[in-house]
Amino acid sequence: MSAQGILITAFAGAGLSYALGLTSARLREVFAIVVSVLLVCLIAITHGQGAEHVYYPDFLGLDLVLRMDALAWFFAITVSMVGCLSVIFSLHYVRGKEKENFYYFALLLVNAAMLGIVLSGDLLSFFIFWEIMSWAAFLLISYKRGRALDAGLKYVIMSILGSCAMLLALLYLYANYNTLVISDLAQQIRSAAGGFPLWVMLAFALGFGIKCALIPLHTWLPDAHSEAPSPFSAVLSGILIKMGIYGFILVMYGVVGLKLLLEVGAPWLHFHTVLCWLGAITILIPTFIALLQDDAKRLLAWSSIGQIGYIMLAIGVATSLGLAGALFHTLNHAVFKALLFLAVGAVEYKTGGVRDLNRLGGLIRRMPVTFACALIGGLGLIGVPLTSGFVSKWLIYKTLITEGHPFLALAALVGTWGAILYVYKLLHNMFLGQLPEKYANLEAAPFSMQLPLMICGFIIVLFGILPGIPLSVIGGIVGTLGFEPVTATLTGFGPQIGPLNTLNLCAAFAGVLLVIVAFRGIAARPKPVSQDDSYAAGAAAPAGKYHHTVRFYDPLERMTGGYLRDWVDQFYLSAAGKAKGVFNGVRRIYTGDVRTYVMYIVALLTFLIFAHTAGWL
Amino acid sequence: MVSPILLIAVPLALAFLTPMVGLASKSARRYMPAIAMLFNFIVAMSLLPKALEAPIIVRTAGWAPPLSIHLVAGPLGLLLSSLVALIGLLVAIYGIDYIREGARARYDVLYTLLLVGATGVVLTGDLFNLFVFFEVLCISSYALVAYRGDSAGVEAGMKYLIQGAIGSSLVLIGIGLLYGTVGTLSMADIASSVGSVAGSRLFISLAFMIAGFGVEAAIFPLNAWLPDAHSSAPSSISAVLSGVAIKAGLYAIARVVYTVYGASSILPFLAVLGVVTLLVGEMCAFAQEDIKRLLAFSSIGQMGLILFALALSSATGISGAVFLIISHGLAKALLFLATGYMIYRTGSRDISSLAGMGKRMPIMSLCFTVGAFSLMGLPPFVGFASKFTIVRAVLGTGSTFFITLLAIGLIGTVIEGAYFLRIVQWLYFKPAPEAMPEQTEGRAPLTALVPVGLLAVLIVTIGLLPGIVGRALGPAADDLLDRAAYIQHVMGD
Repeated sequence: MSAQGILITAFAGAGLSYALGLTSARLREVFAIVVSVLLVCLIAITHGQGAEHVYYPDFLGLDLVLRMDALAWFFAITVSMVGCLSVIFSLHYVRGKEKENFYYFALLLVNAAMLGIVLSGDLLSFFIFWEIMSWAAFLLISYKRGRALDAGLKYVIMSILGSCAMLLALLYLYANYNTLVISDLAQQIRSAAGGFPLWVMLAFALGFGIKCALIPLHTWLPDAHSEAPSPFSAVLSGILIKMGIYGFILVMYGVVGLKLLLEVGAPWLHFHTVLCWLGAITILIPTFIALLQDDAKRLLAWSSIGQIGYIMLAIGVATSLGLAGALFHTLNHAVFKALLFLAVGAVEYKTGGVRDLNRLGGLIRRMPVTFACALIGGLGLIGVPLTSGFVSKWLIYKTLITEGHPFLALAALVGTWGAILYVYKLLHNMFLGQLPEKYANLEAAPFSMQLPLMICGFIIVLFGILPGIPLSVIGGIVGTLGFEPVTATLTGFGPQIGPLNTLNLCAAFAGVLLVIVAFRGIAARPKPVSQDDSYAAGAAAPAGKYHHTVRFYDPLERMTGGYLRDWVDQFYLSAAGKAKGVFNGVRRIYTGDVRTYVMYIVALLTFLIFAHTAGWL
Repeated sequence: MVSPILLIAVPLALAFLTPMVGLASKSARRYMPAIAMLFNFIVAMSLLPKALEAPIIVRTAGWAPPLSIHLVAGPLGLLLSSLVALIGLLVAIYGIDYIREGARARYDVLYTLLLVGATGVVLTGDLFNLFVFFEVLCISSYALVAYRGDSAGVEAGMKYLIQGAIGSSLVLIGIGLLYGTVGTLSMADIASSVGSVAGSRLFISLAFMIAGFGVEAAIFPLNAWLPDAHSSAPSSISAVLSGVAIKAGLYAIARVVYTVYGASSILPFLAVLGVVTLLVGEMCAFAQEDIKRLLAFSSIGQMGLILFALALSSATGISGAVFLIISHGLAKALLFLATGYMIYRTGSRDISSLAGMGKRMPIMSLCFTVGAFSLMGLPPFVGFASKFTIVRAVLGTGSTFFITLLAIGLIGTVIEGAYFLRIVQWLYFKPAPEAMPEQTEGRAPLTALVPVGLLAVLIVTIGLLPGIVGRALGPAADDLLDRAAYIQHVMGD
């Protein structure tokens, strides 16, 4: 199956699902799932293929090319997987809501456009699919109305700004090399020198940085991710922002190439070093902002920015381990962030739209499967051993330490500590503690919502125990991008990279478990008491009052809250406000008085003649 | 073989026949503009392939240029007259049911005359005829703007008339000055002899013509009439004014600057003027609450971009400009037409009255969205292809001056995105008000749905297959750029 077939399936699937939805809602749901699963299968079987072919000759004088290679395959399978899971999750989530037809169409269209992006073999197709993804995502973000409308506008304005920069960059390349085919560009750009690569990279970085929410270009993300419908938040956070990462990897290593990249920038400050430090900042600040959030989805949104920081940091280091870590973390983050957003979505769905962490609690008894999966996702996010997040973070730490970047490594570590805190807050406030009485009879989420959670949880554990499966693919990609290939065994790394063997970890884990079980056996049996007892120490207490989760990290909040306002967002908002003022001022040019207008005509004529006599024209 | 002169003669005759047809049958009369434009479209399209090879020169009364009045149906002229005929045809179909009150007979005549004027402007090879056709175009549009006869319409028409009349007189003075200098009115003849004339007198006549044609072309700061005129006129008139009429002014400037004068020194100034027009238009559109005024200001912005692209003086740049003329013509006509029935439905031109329109008028809303996306330059719509061509041309020039201007101009695109997408949100993501005055006569009849739908289909089709018009763009650009070939074709051997 060629890349072209995959794309035709994806786009036709989006269109047909709309058409089918006009006849029967059930048919559309079945069809949407079939298409999504089919896409995963189609992409899976193309593993290992490499091909490049022209699918649209002479579009505005340029040949549009599709290609399939290791990097494209890796991103394509991630996109189709997460896309498929979110479609399955959507079944119940949107049933009975309005504009279902539109919802499925737009969701499938975003997924199809993202597949288009990663399968593009030239930068024009890349840009076209990128734009389609951007506007389709805008429509989906606006879907829930109310505050979602502002979030959608904010997203799309920043997105258009980024697109303009990208367009300039890619046409700048075209003006110099007369081609936009990625493989040809990579050949020709080697001889580039001077400021040219830097300008191109900066313009691309603006476009990609906005999409992947690199600080200080991140401000659209918290609003958009929290206001979008939850299955789409999973797509947004899981894969859509990763298109920015894909863009960075493609341009930095696929087009410009490692050798030239290391020279881009001033001699004392290289482009990739700046990227590293931006990555570190992107880890630190959002992590602490996430800690202070009370909206479950906003918390996850800020956490997404923080995790993007890890990936950018690892890309910027420009080592083979770093890139491998970045790619692996991209995959991991897609899986566990999708899981967490879907888990929050399941809670939101059952509780009738509540995502305020201060109003939830104790749901573990009503939604045990959701909790178990969310726990795995949270552990993966922290990077606890035996989850996939551990291996990718291990790679990132390893390369930071061996390359001698102690401060960057510290930033990454602090980010992980913060992650522990906010994951705990999230899980505790939703699932642990006392169950509010109004949720006493809540039912578990339907199976179509639990299934995606379980699949994600399974992947996290599987890749945590057997990291060799994804690393065999990632190692190859790193090889094709001009680095030394990373070789991994099924359960870890050989001695040439560093000692990591998940089998040992498993053994240690099993040992600890045994000790605990044995200890429990020896120790006295615990006596169950009523929940109120443990809170009120036996005193008579009204039920439902002793679950304190408001102001969770209060001392920390008091310490850091003053510094952690989103200055960048405030700056943009005030700039937008000022711009509006200017626009209103400009409108006064048109006074409504025809005498002024006549004066304008005469003034222009006079100016032309004056400018000529003065010799300007 | 048919002669390009039919493109002017037949609709002109039909325009004057219209009142007489009206005497026989009132309902037949309203089909006359559509018939005239259908004829024009077929003829223009059938002539286009031949004109792509070499311009078709029509000599009247057996005199050879430069003495005769002649038409030069080159690639650019025929491409634009096809566009005029196409948009004219679709809007005429729309107008059959849309225009319900007022002096219907005059509407049909004036509408046809306006399009005859536009066709004449792009086809003529003679400077004085350019002026005459330009006047036919302008005078019909003054009258049509005031068609409704309400105070807003009359005021807008009056203001338009005053500014337009000043513009026309400037053009006439410019032509007079030029004639006094070179002694001929044939554009090709002037072009061949203009090189031997001293600079200053020539430049002053050029300045007069730019300022004069600039009024109709909506160049900043000469465009103050446009927002009032385009928003007060009935929507079908707004559609042709925005889609066709202002382009004729821009064509006249391009033809005069490139072919007649070969004045490359003024191009950077025009480029700056274009970017300023673009920014001012988009900024003013941003804060509008009146949907038709918003669309009118957006037209100003797009005209600025077209002027900027025309001033690039490269083949790709002019191709991009012509492409944008086509894509903007289609999209803006669509937007005005779709808006027309939405306004009938709600009785208000306020953007907020569009809330929930996606449910009440699904086809119109969908088409509106397609048009808006195309104007913003989002793929896979035709606007993307045209804007992409322009950006490519700018970077192709490699000049820092133009690239800086473009980067500033792209801010306009961002503003444009902001206000158009806000409207799309109003259409689809805002609940309709509970108690709504449901006006049944607001339902769009087939004569409205077909043209709007066709425009949307065209926007998508050309967006996916830009090769359809792409073949004609290169020759059209050469038509402007290659003065020597133009002179040689017209003057003969």
